[in-house]
Amino acid sequence: MPSKLSAQAIQDLKRHLGKEQVLHEKEDLYTYGYDATPELSGLPDVVVFPRTAEEVAYVVEFANENGLPLSPRGSGTGLSGGSIPAEGGVVAVMTRMNKILEIDEENLTATVEPGVITLDLADAVAARGLFYPPDPGSQKVSTIGGNVAENAGGLRGLKYGVTRDYVMALEAVLMDGSHLMTGGKAVKDVAGYSFRDLLVGSEGTLGIVTQVTVSLIPPPKAKKTMVAYFKDVATAGQAVSEIVAAKIIPATLEILDNKTINSIEDYVSIGLPREMQGLLLIETDGHPAEVEEEAAEIHEVLERVGADVIRVAQTDQEAEDLTAARRTALSALARVSPTTILEDSTVPRSELASTFNEIARLTKKYNLTVGTFGHAGDGNLHPTALTDERNSEEIKRVHAFFSELYDHVLAVGGTVSGEHGIGMAKVGYLERQIGSGGVKVMRRIKHAFDPEGRLNPGKMFTPELQEEVRA
Amino acid sequence: MSEEKQSVRSEPRYTKRDAEQAIRKEGEQLGNFLPEDAPSYEDILQCMRCGFCLPHCPTYALTNRERSSPRGRAQLAKAVAQGEMELSDKVSFEGFFCLDCRACTTVCPAGVKVGPIMEHVRAQSRNQVHPLPPGWRQFREFLLEYMLPNHDRLENSMLAARLYQRLGVQWMVRNSHLLELTPGTLGETAEKMDGMLPKLEPPLRNRVPELVKARGEKRGTVAYFIGCIMNLMYPEVSRGTINTLAQQGFDVVIPKGAKCCGAPHLTEGDRETARKLGEHNVETFLRWDLDAIVTDCAGCGAALKDYEELLEGRMDERYLHEFRSRIQDVSEFLVGAGMRTEDLKPVEMTITYHDPCHLAHAQGIAKEPRQLIEAIPGLKLVEMFESNWCCGSGANWGLLHPEESEQVLDRKMANVVKTEADAVVTLNPGCHMQLAWGVRRSGLEQEAYHLMELVGRSLPEEAVPPAG
Repeated sequence: MPSKLSAQAIQDLKRHLGKEQVLHEKEDLYTYGYDATPELSGLPDVVVFPRTAEEVAYVVEFANENGLPLSPRGSGTGLSGGSIPAEGGVVAVMTRMNKILEIDEENLTATVEPGVITLDLADAVAARGLFYPPDPGSQKVSTIGGNVAENAGGLRGLKYGVTRDYVMALEAVLMDGSHLMTGGKAVKDVAGYSFRDLLVGSEGTLGIVTQVTVSLIPPPKAKKTMVAYFKDVATAGQAVSEIVAAKIIPATLEILDNKTINSIEDYVSIGLPREMQGLLLIETDGHPAEVEEEAAEIHEVLERVGADVIRVAQTDQEAEDLTAARRTALSALARVSPTTILEDSTVPRSELASTFNEIARLTKKYNLTVGTFGHAGDGNLHPTALTDERNSEEIKRVHAFFSELYDHVLAVGGTVSGEHGIGMAKVGYLERQIGSGGVKVMRRIKHAFDPEGRLNPGKMFTPELQEEVRA
Repeated sequence: MSEEKQSVRSEPRYTKRDAEQAIRKEGEQLGNFLPEDAPSYEDILQCMRCGFCLPHCPTYALTNRERSSPRGRAQLAKAVAQGEMELSDKVSFEGFFCLDCRACTTVCPAGVKVGPIMEHVRAQSRNQVHPLPPGWRQFREFLLEYMLPNHDRLENSMLAARLYQRLGVQWMVRNSHLLELTPGTLGETAEKMDGMLPKLEPPLRNRVPELVKARGEKRGTVAYFIGCIMNLMYPEVSRGTINTLAQQGFDVVIPKGAKCCGAPHLTEGDRETARKLGEHNVETFLRWDLDAIVTDCAGCGAALKDYEELLEGRMDERYLHEFRSRIQDVSEFLVGAGMRTEDLKPVEMTITYHDPCHLAHAQGIAKEPRQLIEAIPGLKLVEMFESNWCCGSGANWGLLHPEESEQVLDRKMANVVKTEADAVVTLNPGCHMQLAWGVRRSGLEQEAYHLMELVGRSLPEEAVPPAG
């Protein structure tokens, strides 16, 4: 395979980073060309595993000297192609910078390297009686660095917020080789532009994060789990709005549609009612007395709205059983067909019902199989097209389906990405949401950080768009 | 006697399709895979690259290298299937470097079976680019095609091995003149094998009658599938299993004609010998009228349960289905039937249980062994951390990758030690050997047992007496 890199350049990398930290065989390059995004992939010229911020700076210098693009990567679980080396070049895998550096119980913070696995951090702080709430679906695999880059969400978003809400400080290497430190352990900080907030969710296009300090909170003492079934998905949507309108913020408020319920039943037969059009999984947590009170109020709302079945867990085991359906949702859908295309269209909660209706209409129009589940409390839905990448005609219909769905999502004030990011997958959608003016400002910011357009190219904007700014 | 005759069938009940042509699936070549024994493209495409397998893969934990992960392996297979990559020596290496522990399948949302896909990659690379140390190929073929398919040959060869208290494989290596021992991998392998050796007893197969009668009220008739390793290395375990089944009220048939299940052959990519063994076993066992075919070897159980797929198109599917529906792990069978515990003697011991990959992941059996432990008076279970993480044995994996195997084993032993249990217990001979070696190597006071040996100790009487 022709590489843009000379043998000498590879030697240099190995000398600086150690030969174990440099991969260039074609089998390795191939397997660092994808992430969890369907249909998309690239092919790097070399893969490196920096272990310190200094080594990251060296890799940046190397990319600059050799005129190569540079894409940072965590565990490669992203769903928008954020870590795919779209234009080849260097992939910098951050998984070997995986030390938890400090858990500061006085300031309630944890400081970690970017390659720490999300759940490992959550477990480590839990062992000290603390709580790191962001829980993206891939938390057992994903890295904190990747979570920061994509501003990852999760099931607890409604009550506890997303990754951004916990990032207090960042260290990053910029494309000029400088080390940037932004934020700190101080709870308040208004000194200048908040680079920290700019880097969170920047999808690896502005700098390479080398250290993250997150804030921690005390964990809730009690939890109550319940499930409600609805014969009509619009009523389920209404229930979500009414729960929130009753001034209750559940920790979890998840929805599954009829296709998802039936796929789960086909897969594990746990006795879900197949005729139901919607399932809501609701968990409230906090002080035990408060939890009981909230649970009773939620029960009341569900009855008033007209839920067809309501089940409240009395024991931990029952709670476990009630959450089984939600936990199994993705597995069940993924087994239906070879290719699973999962989106993250997000709307204001009050538009959940209209969005479910639109999904149903478009599923019929494009003659597709679509299961929808998601974080109803956040208005964040995962319509999941169950298809086959070998059927190019159907894949076309899938794309048309999502494109038209986003028309609706944007019309009702939603967003083209609630938690997966723009990456490569949604480059075409960004301008539809924020307008050409918005994109232009973003491109100028990108230019200020990375004038050569070398860092993670092909993400957020098309290369042509970025070219315009340079010119 | 008359009852005995009734349970024996004289004629084979299955019909064979034309065996000659069946396996060679005609025509279609899958990318750069060879037409024969290519993996299924459907299976490969099922991977959606979510990466949920990564934290569960022992080889990815060792290397932190994507191509040594289940997702990486599935994607390499996809690249070969789509003609984007040759079936290179490195792809082949990853096929063999996969432990085939199936932990990835347990956690895979889409149910991708990377282990079996890699078994096909092994079959594909078997005679091409297989990165074996010199001499291994001849040795392997000798073992797989000549020795393993024949219990008698194995047992006879063991005679000398027993005299020297050596594992037969090493004895064969040294005496078969098929290869020269070299320093490096083979030398380490030989040394390791010494350490792994149990104290050898005479093989059980020829010491037991073909039918052991039920004790007490009879509940049914089962066959016991006696695995090669169990028979040769752990006859005490096999004895425990047979005695338990009999004591629990089952007539136990131990068909003389049974052969190796074929798992070692699948592991090494020799699917053709595996198929021949499979056909023979289906034919042999279906001559009997059985409620179940019971095995105490997780590796055998997993292979036997996969005969339907292995022999598809080669034997009548009804009989394959019948055979499949009878196969049960001993823990699955005993718990399913309900243990009669009233006469059992206490076995006072605190144990921790290691889930064999081929039981927990390949067969999805994790509750039953624990329920069986609970049923034995005196046995107290202390769970270890990561009980279903591989021990590093992986059939011959530990012998081909001795250094990596030790690293995987170290992780396991650290978790065993933390339980402070008297013994580590498992349900598979490969794990048993590896754990015994782990205990010895680390100088631990704990012992390693196959659960059925302990269950055997709880019995009030023994249908089959000990050797001697």
